[in-house]
Amino acid sequence: MKLRAAAVSFLNARPLTAGLAGSPLIDLVLAEPSLCASMLEAGDVDLALLPVGALPGRDWEVVPGIGIGADGPVQTVVLAGEEPPEQWGEVFLDTASRTSQILAQLVLAERGLSPRYTHMPALEGLSRAVGPKGALVIGDRAFDVDKKVVLDLGREWNRLTRLPMVFAVWAARPGALRPEDVQELARGAQVGLGMRTELAQQFAREAGGDPERYRRYLTQKIRYGLGPHELDGLEAFLSRAALAGLAPPTTLRFADDVVRSRRIRRAVSIDAALQKGADGVRLDPDEAEALDEKAPLLELGLAADMRRRALHPEGVVTYIVSRNMNYTNVCTTACSFCAFYRPRGHEEAYVLDRGQMARKIEETLALGGIEILLQGGLHPDLGIEWYEDLFRWVKSTYPAINLHALSPEEIWHIARTSQLPLDATVDRLVAAGLDSIPGGGAEVLDDEVRRRIAPLKCSTDEWLTVMRAAHLKGLKSTATLMFGVGEDSRNRVNHFVRLRELQDETKGFTAFICWTFQPENTRLDPSDNSAHAYLRVNALARLVLDNVPNFQASWVTMGGGVAQASLHMGCNDFGSVMIEENVVSAAGTTFQMDSEEVERHIRDAGFQPARRNMRYQIIGQA
Amino acid sequence: MLSSLAHRALERDGLGGIRDKVLASERITEAEAVTLLEARDLAALGALANHVREARHGDLTFYNRNVHLNPTNVCVATCKFCSFARPDDKHASEGYTMSLEQSVQHVVSKRALGITEVHIVSGLHPDLPWEYYLETVRRIRQAWPELHIKGYTAVELHFFAEKFGKSMEQVLRELIDAGLTTIPGGGAEIFASRVRRKICDDKATAEQWLEVHRTAHRLGLKSNATMLYGHIETLAERVDHMARLRDLQDETGGFQVFIPLAFHPEHNMIGKAFPKPTGYDGLRTFAVARLFLDNFDHVKAYWVSLGERLAQASLSFGVDDVDGTVLEERIYHMAGATTPQALSEAQLHRMIRFAGRVPAERDSLYHVLRVHDAQAPVPATA
Repeated sequence: MKLRAAAVSFLNARPLTAGLAGSPLIDLVLAEPSLCASMLEAGDVDLALLPVGALPGRDWEVVPGIGIGADGPVQTVVLAGEEPPEQWGEVFLDTASRTSQILAQLVLAERGLSPRYTHMPALEGLSRAVGPKGALVIGDRAFDVDKKVVLDLGREWNRLTRLPMVFAVWAARPGALRPEDVQELARGAQVGLGMRTELAQQFAREAGGDPERYRRYLTQKIRYGLGPHELDGLEAFLSRAALAGLAPPTTLRFADDVVRSRRIRRAVSIDAALQKGADGVRLDPDEAEALDEKAPLLELGLAADMRRRALHPEGVVTYIVSRNMNYTNVCTTACSFCAFYRPRGHEEAYVLDRGQMARKIEETLALGGIEILLQGGLHPDLGIEWYEDLFRWVKSTYPAINLHALSPEEIWHIARTSQLPLDATVDRLVAAGLDSIPGGGAEVLDDEVRRRIAPLKCSTDEWLTVMRAAHLKGLKSTATLMFGVGEDSRNRVNHFVRLRELQDETKGFTAFICWTFQPENTRLDPSDNSAHAYLRVNALARLVLDNVPNFQASWVTMGGGVAQASLHMGCNDFGSVMIEENVVSAAGTTFQMDSEEVERHIRDAGFQPARRNMRYQIIGQA
Repeated sequence: MLSSLAHRALERDGLGGIRDKVLASERITEAEAVTLLEARDLAALGALANHVREARHGDLTFYNRNVHLNPTNVCVATCKFCSFARPDDKHASEGYTMSLEQSVQHVVSKRALGITEVHIVSGLHPDLPWEYYLETVRRIRQAWPELHIKGYTAVELHFFAEKFGKSMEQVLRELIDAGLTTIPGGGAEIFASRVRRKICDDKATAEQWLEVHRTAHRLGLKSNATMLYGHIETLAERVDHMARLRDLQDETGGFQVFIPLAFHPEHNMIGKAFPKPTGYDGLRTFAVARLFLDNFDHVKAYWVSLGERLAQASLSFGVDDVDGTVLEERIYHMAGATTPQALSEAQLHRMIRFAGRVPAERDSLYHVLRVHDAQAPVPATA
């Protein structure tokens, strides 16, 4: 039986609902916000896209990862009047949404204002908001409010708290949602978010108005992620509402989103599979899964070491001198595992300017660096021109620098924000100076996991599509895996198999690197993210990814000692001397090494160090 | 059982002969130990050491709940590797000496934490009277009768005997009467006199260190043995160190555990010239210790020095003991250790379980107090 769900028909909700049309799991009805809440209460529906003001006093289970919010001006929740708010003796509160009523009162109270509040339908309130009176207006009609004073409550909340405002979340009756349903909502969001341009055009046809304005509203104003900062914002809203006596105290409860489907697996001999792997015979998914679950660390390590010796018999371990340059930490995907991103309006949100970048690049050159690893958040305001200008500037100012830039996620984002086809996006970036692509943002290439930890990120297929497009244009890239996020053997093996298939097709991956999820400052509980797991998974990857030439040791997350051990269990590369790293270190890991220290670790472990470029060509033997 | 991959790798590396001796439970020679240290095949070396470890202990991995007590850091010795010692009690030099009340309070305040052992190590203070050391043990014993008191390294005990004009036997008997139950393994550093002359020429010699332990074993005390590796010593000197321990153990059987300790370079005199030994060096040393010290029951990785990640990895390289919760460690932290001040029992369990092992809480004499078998769920992080 399908789950019954209710959602508002507002424009900002459509990216979360449009992708659910024809869903095999969820039946959707559209209603006013307050009606959504009462339908859920009455049991008419099991699930509703609920204004957060309807959460207090209830034990609804919230769907993790997605919601409707804003990290600055929202445009569709406003207080309007003819005189400044300080003059208002009475404020008419739109009856359609309790959330906005609470928000309006919190914002005015923070300014020391306590006008008389009168509940009234929006249009009537707005018409009576003359002289010393104000009115709360929400929803799509707020686009067209024509008053002298308009207080955008998204912006006001952000000024007040430096946190994003979350307006609505999917909430369900306790026990009503299965993990599959949660994943279906994430899938729907992923589809819907990809349709924002069409949804804006459709809305303009229905309601009139400028489709471009609506598109910007959906892509640049409204935020659909429910990551650590958004949850901070939501909790701040709920606790302030409780403190102000506007709602009972609330503790958020989340629906279970871990899908545990199984694949029937034939019996596999661990010994035989290890021998095959060691000898370079291709392992099938059943064998890989059995090894992942059962093979002891040193057995995987011995087999992986035999593969490494066969592929790299010289006993050379390479490394590169490169610098991470994270051009912005503003990001709209709000992944639960990320400690790096900041919403717009956050006091630590930044976009690097040319002066800062120039200094970083010059420091890199001074240290013998040859590459900039340029990655950043998905900033909603940066279009392809920004990247093109940046690349041209880097290449013309510092011709010696290799631009290893933009993970597939970012390229996908640029294509979307600039409304360009993927191919054209890659062509333009290459023309501007892009040399190669880092394999970041892969996380676990299994949508069952991605929808849980990063529902707004590109899907597995999309990630691979970008890589395929880039490889076919002659760009090389790396491939990554971040694990320890509650995935299982099957998910990890799916990841390897998808990479291996693409590599068979394109030969575009130069190297693989994996690391474990670092949980500090995030909202996600780790599963096994230990050093032991790192060495096992890395060794298994060396066996399964028989067509990827190089394996990097992740000393940044694991420390030099464990990375040295990985050189004896499959790795032949020590990654990069890190002049700067911001993303993983935001989650608590702070291992540092200069090139002398990198070489000491390589030598001490019994190998000859050599510097390389991004194509893994040796450029200097130490 | 050693796997066929391990056999293949060891044959390839020319280590088949050593492997055969290990599998036949024959003792390996010092030269063979050096060969293993130089082998540059960590996975194969680990597999061989792991074979011995699992034959002895299966998956059991030992830890205890302990608190460290360092009553003073004032020390007349001038060991070049030390970041803990201070020349005097003066504020300016950051020297300190705890009163007896402070020491007892430091220990007793941990009672609610389920501690089973106090580990006492101090500097060689020029002025404190014999009674201070005796009374420290006596008062802790009185305040907490069932607590295991592991106290005073051989270097300190030797210093007491000389300073207070007592025989070693007398020193030990008085401490035993006061309540001492075992002796920690510190102060061994590297036995080779070439090394000792350079890094610690004004404290107990190798012979004196060994003699203290010999005497202690004769009086019925169990003890531990350490080795400070990764500074100026050669691989042969490391093996020589282990060989002297193996010989004494043949004689007395009094050692419980061997503990290789990584040299930490910060804030001491030789740190500038010698960086911290790498993790690779640690792992091969654990593995070779497990293979060479065939008469030692246990090999311990001290997580405070190694970090949790490397300590966990060491559980596949011959190590069966990760020390304990170690409340309030000072000595390594003053040498730049960035590890936490203590690990909770849940954190230790998580580390051990995720290495595929079974946590076993032990007392100071390696009696198993409780096996936390693998059926229970892995504890979440704190």
